[in-house]
Amino acid sequence: MVHQEYKELLSVHALTALDPGDARMLTAHLEHCSECRSAMDQWEETAALLAFDAGAAEPSRHLRERILQAARNAPASSQAGGQTAEATNVIPMPVRRSHGFSMQSWAAIAAVFAFGAFVISLLVLWSQHNASKQELALLSMQVKDAQQQLARQREAIEIVTTPGTQSVELEGTEVAPEAHATVAYDRSGRAVLLANNLPPTPEGQAYQLWFVVSGKLIPGKIFSPDASGHGSVEDQIPAARGSTGFAVTLEPEAGVVAPTGQIYLRSGS
Amino acid sequence: MRAEPAQTSDNELLKAIARSDESALGSLYDRYRVILFGLLVRILNSREEAEDVLQEVFIQVWRRAAHFDESRGRAFTWLVTVARSRAIDRLRVLAARGRLTEAAKRDEWASVSDADTDAFYAERSEIVRRALQEIPEEQRVTLRLAYFEGLTQSEIAARLGTPLGTVKTRMRAGMVKLRELLGHQVRNLL
Repeated sequence: MVHQEYKELLSVHALTALDPGDARMLTAHLEHCSECRSAMDQWEETAALLAFDAGAAEPSRHLRERILQAARNAPASSQAGGQTAEATNVIPMPVRRSHGFSMQSWAAIAAVFAFGAFVISLLVLWSQHNASKQELALLSMQVKDAQQQLARQREAIEIVTTPGTQSVELEGTEVAPEAHATVAYDRSGRAVLLANNLPPTPEGQAYQLWFVVSGKLIPGKIFSPDASGHGSVEDQIPAARGSTGFAVTLEPEAGVVAPTGQIYLRSGS
Repeated sequence: MRAEPAQTSDNELLKAIARSDESALGSLYDRYRVILFGLLVRILNSREEAEDVLQEVFIQVWRRAAHFDESRGRAFTWLVTVARSRAIDRLRVLAARGRLTEAAKRDEWASVSDADTDAFYAERSEIVRRALQEIPEEQRVTLRLAYFEGLTQSEIAARLGTPLGTVKTRMRAGMVKLRELLGHQVRNLL
């Protein structure tokens, strides 16, 4: 898609009316294009005007206090960007002190250092050779993982772009307030969960998807987020009468039949 | 539009909320509850669901106020965008459960009790609706289906029995026209 085509999608994207494929492409483009992001902000202002077409209505009087009470119980707003002081990992070099050495002494010392540097260089080269072999093996594994991930993503795209696909949003709980996920599922019950901002999992643990059907929790599949907190998993919604809610908990990496860990994400149902 | 009395700006309220100032949250709620609730009821056709979502919206404001970037847009735009997004999500969940209610009759909505608020929003509502009337009906329909029912272009095409390309053209043209008619008034309206 050329840049002008992206620009033509912006106004409709402000209405969140793009079909999933176009929406995904434009979202990816917006991450890198400040011109379009700025234009998008203006289209969102235009779209917001449509709220005045809905008309006005007064909520119940007790809602205000309900909201303030919920705010008192909710975690306070985090600082912008979640900025905290990062521990520096720069260790200052010790300051060298000069000593009253003669020229011969300096020459001898220099020779010793030169020989030592030569030996160290040999050791470093030998170590680098071994490291290169290991790195090559690691890169091969990473390529294979990436290929498998690409295949999974293609399957996920297929589910999300199927006409008639429904989606449910999951919000982060107090242990992961920034986390968010969407579960998209088609008519056959094939579902894909796409999560963002998930905390890294401790060793030996992974996130597990749960289906909430008539108050019962049915175990789904296990998944782990990548370094940037993105996680995804495909699963099949159990055939059952009634609506399905979703939740994600932290469990042992083999998975469990009943939840034991904290809830990190849950849908509104 | 008549002049408004001096009041704390939206950005100042959000900064106060980011400092966990409850009274600022209450003030922001008082300022926009009518228009936001009206939007939510229109989308969800249920006062009960609309109140739940309105609560979620303000809790999100409470949690995320520190992240609001005033250089990217107005606070009202952010509030409306969050409210609509949550309402559309709730609408989809309700639809999946087969629990969509019948469209609420207009006289079932609680009347706006504060006369000042009524005039405040009535004025803006009138401006926006007059502008919408100047947009060709086929374009207007696509905008409303997208905005209030959360339909995608393909879904709108299926609903109306219209080719997808036609819907795309109408929706883009409708938004462009809306901006042409109201773009110069955005500062006053929002």
